[in-house]
Amino acid sequence: MAAAANMTAIENDRPPTVISFDTISLSYGNRVIISDLSLDVGRGEIVCIIGPSGCGKTTALRMAGGLVRPSAGSVRLRGAPLTAPRQDVAIVFQDYGKALLPWRTASANVSLAMEAAGVPRDQRQARIPPLLAKVGLAGHGDKYPSEMSGGMQQRIQIARCLAQDPAVLLMDEPFGALDAMTRQGLQDEMLSLVAETGTTVFFVTHDLEEAVYLGDRVVGLLPNPGRVGIDLKVSLPRPRNQLESREMPEFLRLRRELFDFIEKAER
Amino acid sequence: MKAWRILWLALSFLVAILFVWGWQMLADYRIVSPVFLPGPDRAWRSLTLGFTTGDLGMKFLSTVERMFWGWLIASLLGIVLGAAIGTSPRLRTYLAPTLEFLRPLPASATIPVAIAMLGLSDGMVLSVIAFGALWPVLLATIHGFAAVEPRLYEVGRALRLSRPAVIFKIALPSASPDILAGMRLGLTVALILSVVCEMIAGRDGLGNWILLSARSFRAPDLYAGVILLGVLGYGTSVILAAVEGRLLSWRKRAR
Amino acid sequence: MNSDWWKGLVVPAVLLGLAELAMRFHGSVSMSLAAPTDIVIAFGRVLLNGSLLAATGGTLVSAGAGLIFGGFIGLLLGILFGLLAIVDRVMEVTIEAIRPIPSVAVLPIAMLIFGFGYRMEIAIVAFSCLWPVMIMTRAAVGGIEPRLLEVSRALRLSAVDRVIKVVLPAALPRIMVAFRLAAGIALVVAVTVEIAVNPLGLGYGILVAQQALQPDVMLAYLVWIGVIGWGLNVLLSLAQNRLFGRAGQVEVVR
Repeated sequence: MAAAANMTAIENDRPPTVISFDTISLSYGNRVIISDLSLDVGRGEIVCIIGPSGCGKTTALRMAGGLVRPSAGSVRLRGAPLTAPRQDVAIVFQDYGKALLPWRTASANVSLAMEAAGVPRDQRQARIPPLLAKVGLAGHGDKYPSEMSGGMQQRIQIARCLAQDPAVLLMDEPFGALDAMTRQGLQDEMLSLVAETGTTVFFVTHDLEEAVYLGDRVVGLLPNPGRVGIDLKVSLPRPRNQLESREMPEFLRLRRELFDFIEKAER
Repeated sequence: MKAWRILWLALSFLVAILFVWGWQMLADYRIVSPVFLPGPDRAWRSLTLGFTTGDLGMKFLSTVERMFWGWLIASLLGIVLGAAIGTSPRLRTYLAPTLEFLRPLPASATIPVAIAMLGLSDGMVLSVIAFGALWPVLLATIHGFAAVEPRLYEVGRALRLSRPAVIFKIALPSASPDILAGMRLGLTVALILSVVCEMIAGRDGLGNWILLSARSFRAPDLYAGVILLGVLGYGTSVILAAVEGRLLSWRKRAR
Repeated sequence: MNSDWWKGLVVPAVLLGLAELAMRFHGSVSMSLAAPTDIVIAFGRVLLNGSLLAATGGTLVSAGAGLIFGGFIGLLLGILFGLLAIVDRVMEVTIEAIRPIPSVAVLPIAMLIFGFGYRMEIAIVAFSCLWPVMIMTRAAVGGIEPRLLEVSRALRLSAVDRVIKVVLPAALPRIMVAFRLAAGIALVVAVTVEIAVNPLGLGYGILVAQQALQPDVMLAYLVWIGVIGWGLNVLLSLAQNRLFGRAGQVEVVR
């Protein structure tokens, strides 16, 4: 298969695998969504998934979150099969407007994750302010989501995920609905948060530049049915910088390569 | 802005007073026979007399009590059943047509059936009120639970919330605007049915009182009773609106 | 139509079957319940001897006339309040004082003035229908695109023309919703008045059947009242969809 051939572009000094998709397939009735997709994500890696619509990138993320189970093959977390949502795997949804509880304040929304984990009330109260501060929402805890901008709402969601102490962060086009300035700000904040904690990130996006800017690797999926088409290592130095990183020849080369890939995939 | 609002309200009160004065004139100059329309002065005297020397207070209370208990039973039942049906698409496909058929049925039409089964008892009255007030609550609750954003359920799954937690922390708050709207409608129905049942079954209360007053041509008593019922209708809707405003404060604080 | 329509019939069919079995096995003559087949037979009887149709006519005439009177007054008031904010504000307290009076509370007043019969029932139905029509018309008129009113002023239309040619057509879809809601209320109130005091129509019919210890006839009436309420609702929804598509459906709930 062409997909398998492209995967060898990666060097072998990889960190231990955290999430692995092992030849998974998914079909609803006669419709095959994903076919024989294999992919490993190493510890502390930021892997960005791109691909034309219908390539199953969001579905793959939902499998990693335990929300969808493959029809064949298995998704494993540190070797153990992943069949249901786990506390150490957090999901940031794209539609923050729908994924937050509108009747809860920012603090109470963050609290929900800890309530689910059975954290006692006083500990929750103590942990919320630092979490909000981490995502730049210090002092906004008593506001309702409807009183906040899109960027701030997405920060609440990220704070809620951080409250889970996740080893893996699954992000489904988290910044797609935000304006360019806000998006860049959140990209950098996310990178520094992840650098601090060493969290593994599985990041789905349709923005090729975002994928290159954030990722250690960029994986491109092919559509109908979804499978891996390209797997590129991003060797831009960290910490990245919105101006400098984006002007490096390596950045431009990867962007070009992904652009060509998408164009070919959509044809 | 606020000052303007108060000014308009004052003006509006003035107009209302003007209407009452016009009513008084109609009665004083016998433009309308006092048999049908006693002046507000006579209605007011009858009202105060009823409270001081008569047992109008007791009648008022028994109507309130009837309405409240019937409504409470209907609300609890409606929320529990509505939650069960609203969260299950399968139950909905089986039950929705039946519920749609029963919805426009006038609740008062069940009174004769209830009398046939339970007699002219307080239990009959309570069942009729509860049954009638159940529908608005039940249907609104079903709608509320069916309309919960699917993404929120997914968030619940991703956070590994327990089933009770999903119900009480996600579904119930999300459905609460619909439930409260249904309960508000249910309270109106409960008041109407309390009055009707009192009339038909002769139970002591405001409904029975105004009917007897009309039958014996005691017009001032009748109008006093109608005024009281208006106050009751107004009071309950104000209280519920206040509760709603408190519980749903998050909806008003939009950007 | 989807293929699941039959599922909606399962529950009523099972309930009817159970009721039939229970009544047959129990075998006793009940004064409050009857087997479904007996109800059907009773229904045929009252249908053939004409009493059911006469009662249906009585109820529908009262409900219809009350709806027309109350709806018309409500429509006029709604347009007035919707167009003239001053009148709306000045009348606020008066309206809010009268509106919460439960419809059945005016029953004895109507009885005092008109005695028994059609007139009192129509008066009560009209009082009940007035408020929802008024409130929804006011909202509909108040919600008309202001530009339209400016256009009608710029064209120097007379006040009457403005209402007939601009305001009413623009607000019509939501006014239709108001009348659909009011029609349901009219039926409920008419039946209620008949059960409570007025000796005519379906409500009286069901009460008489109960007092005559004829549970089969009583339940036949109950089912028939349900069918009429449901049919009215379906008919008006269809008419509304036909006339305005889905545009009118949106605002119904709140």
